[in-house]
Amino acid sequence: MADITSCGHAGTLESSDVLIHIEPSQDIEINLISSVEELYGDDIKALVLEVLEKMNIKAVKVDINDKGALDYVIKARLQTAILRALEDGDKPDWSLL
Amino acid sequence: MKSEIQFSQFDSTNIRRVRKIKEFLDSVELELSEDIEIYVSAKEDEQIIACGGLSGKILKCIAVAPHKRGEGLILTVMTYLLNAAYNRDRKELFLFSKPKYLSFFEECGFHLIQRYENEIMLMENTHNLQEYKDNLIKLKKDGGVIGSIVMNANPFTLGHQHLVTEAAKRSSWLHLFVVKEDASEFKFKDRIDLIKKGVAHLKNITVHEGSDYIISKATFPTYFIKDKGKVNDLHAKLDLYIYKNHLAPALGITHRFVGTEPYCKVTNNYNQNMKKILEKEEAGSKPIKVVEIPRIEFAQKAISASRVRALLKEEKYEELANIVPPTTMEFLMKEVVNGRYN
Amino acid sequence: MRLRRSMLFVPGSNTSMVCNAFVYKPDTVMFDLEDSVAISEKDSARLMVFHALQHFTYADVETAVRVNPLESPYGLLDLEAVIRAGVDIVRLPKTDTVDDVLDMQNAIEKIEKEIGSKKETKLLAAIESALGVVNAVDIARCSKRLMGIALGAEDFVRDLRTQRTKEGLELSAARSHILLAARAAKINAFDSVFSDVKDKEGFIREVTYIKGLGFDGKSLVNPNQISTLHSIYAPTKQEIEWALEVIEASEHAKKHGLGVISIDGKMVDAPIIARAKSVIELAKASGVMGDDEDE
Repeated sequence: MADITSCGHAGTLESSDVLIHIEPSQDIEINLISSVEELYGDDIKALVLEVLEKMNIKAVKVDINDKGALDYVIKARLQTAILRALEDGDKPDWSLL
Repeated sequence: MKSEIQFSQFDSTNIRRVRKIKEFLDSVELELSEDIEIYVSAKEDEQIIACGGLSGKILKCIAVAPHKRGEGLILTVMTYLLNAAYNRDRKELFLFSKPKYLSFFEECGFHLIQRYENEIMLMENTHNLQEYKDNLIKLKKDGGVIGSIVMNANPFTLGHQHLVTEAAKRSSWLHLFVVKEDASEFKFKDRIDLIKKGVAHLKNITVHEGSDYIISKATFPTYFIKDKGKVNDLHAKLDLYIYKNHLAPALGITHRFVGTEPYCKVTNNYNQNMKKILEKEEAGSKPIKVVEIPRIEFAQKAISASRVRALLKEEKYEELANIVPPTTMEFLMKEVVNGRYN
Repeated sequence: MRLRRSMLFVPGSNTSMVCNAFVYKPDTVMFDLEDSVAISEKDSARLMVFHALQHFTYADVETAVRVNPLESPYGLLDLEAVIRAGVDIVRLPKTDTVDDVLDMQNAIEKIEKEIGSKKETKLLAAIESALGVVNAVDIARCSKRLMGIALGAEDFVRDLRTQRTKEGLELSAARSHILLAARAAKINAFDSVFSDVKDKEGFIREVTYIKGLGFDGKSLVNPNQISTLHSIYAPTKQEIEWALEVIEASEHAKKHGLGVISIDGKMVDAPIIARAKSVIELAKASGVMGDDEDE
């Protein structure tokens, strides 16, 4: 299991992108701001959980400001934020991404 | 050969660039805030077309040239500012701008705390104000006159003690807020400690730690550089409206007590604004009565914290003992012995 | 033969470009992890491209990635990501020598072996210095993975101690040399970007010129340049007519077992037939071929 002990962030507020901030937490907490929240809010949260599970992260607070990003963009940004918060994040295990 | 928009980030040591930012802000009728640490600028053909600044946890001076609006530049400027803040482990942020840009910044994850007419608004990217209010409500007391005082007490003097005692006499319950920002000579921890000791004889009082929402760098940034005499009137008004519309209702406050201010123009001006704003009948909020309590004097001079600081510097400890309560005196002497004022 | 007229540059840090580049239907999408990406965003761009390459929107378009140099802290990480994501072509930046290509080839082979990939990732060498141009002939022939060489003009003119002009005289020696080296090695040759996106006339002039020199295509920075470039590369009516006649004649000869084909008394041999076929392919891709003309 990978422990999130510091903060990380990735992405932008530009159209088609997403800005993600993560920080240590006791459990998994997801806060989403999205222009498409009503339509896709649940999908986005499910996607976040999937990424976290694959990277073996059991506790983290994720703040997401979505600007209409595609799934893979959200994935890439979340993974970047996590890798930036992890100590050995500069040598990622590609099979988990 | 090509023209494209270049974004850059720099700090206040970059005087040439800061000067250009100031010129740009002048052109869009915004004032450069002197406490900005990090600047972001967007340039096209060597001309600044957008900028923004970060000061502590506050984003401000965010502007886009009129002919470049509507192209999403603001989102990139905001991304740079947020990254600059996040990189410094500042996540809970405030933002100053004009109310007409509300929706832009809502898109960036901020929401309104308070606006003042069409002049200024303060936003935050958390729900901390609501949380703070929810906690205040738990401390609400019943009674006819619910009094309040906001003080910095830098440090706590006999003057402060007189003000608090008088206010407590006239209130069913008194809420005393201590300015939390560590921007004064005496640290918050010491200031509140001296206040608590100095009001221990009063039974109908709650001493509250201040917050970002009451005379803080967020609500009232220029308060902390008031010695320079450059207090922004708009910030003062914003601070008072946050008090009137958010904090006071949470505690059911009916009165605010202040000491008369014979010396400091800035504080005096703040007191005048306070009367105007808090006592005004407006839809959506109850007016709050402002009561000025005359300062007590010693040897024909009003007692003030600045006088205390001056006497400390001049090492006139006997005179000092005449204007502070014994609890404050004890603390100050301990500090002197420990060499803090050498 | 694959058409490679337009190679659209997509900065890996520009999310909306990454997400939308396929829409413009360039022959090749080239994601950039090198110069267009700030140091602080190298990691995020790498992951973005890693995922984009695997997305279905890029399944049907040829993909290339310009990675950072191997000697930089990012080069190997870039390779790890893009090879795993199944990129078609790795574009090496700043290729000066044969060793630069061979080092990259070894690094790629190692990763392919590690992940058990059957795919043979191709290489495209960008030549961006005087040394690179001088070595172009050897570079073009040094690896079977090398599908082409490309001129990177911005760095090249700096190395020559001059600037780019719209006339492009400063590039003429390099362009000719790179083209000759590519043709001798039977690989593709690509011209550099034309970066003033507002100057459409200048762009048309330059594309007409490099097409005339013989370049297969050109790197582009703006999606709006794609259709212009494709229309300039489209064969003319006469060329199409000629190609159709050649193909007709060759099929007739095949059917009747004729050994020698001639049109207007001129011999038509295998290279000419191949050329005619590629004209037709180009005509179809360019949308200038009517249905009635279709074989």
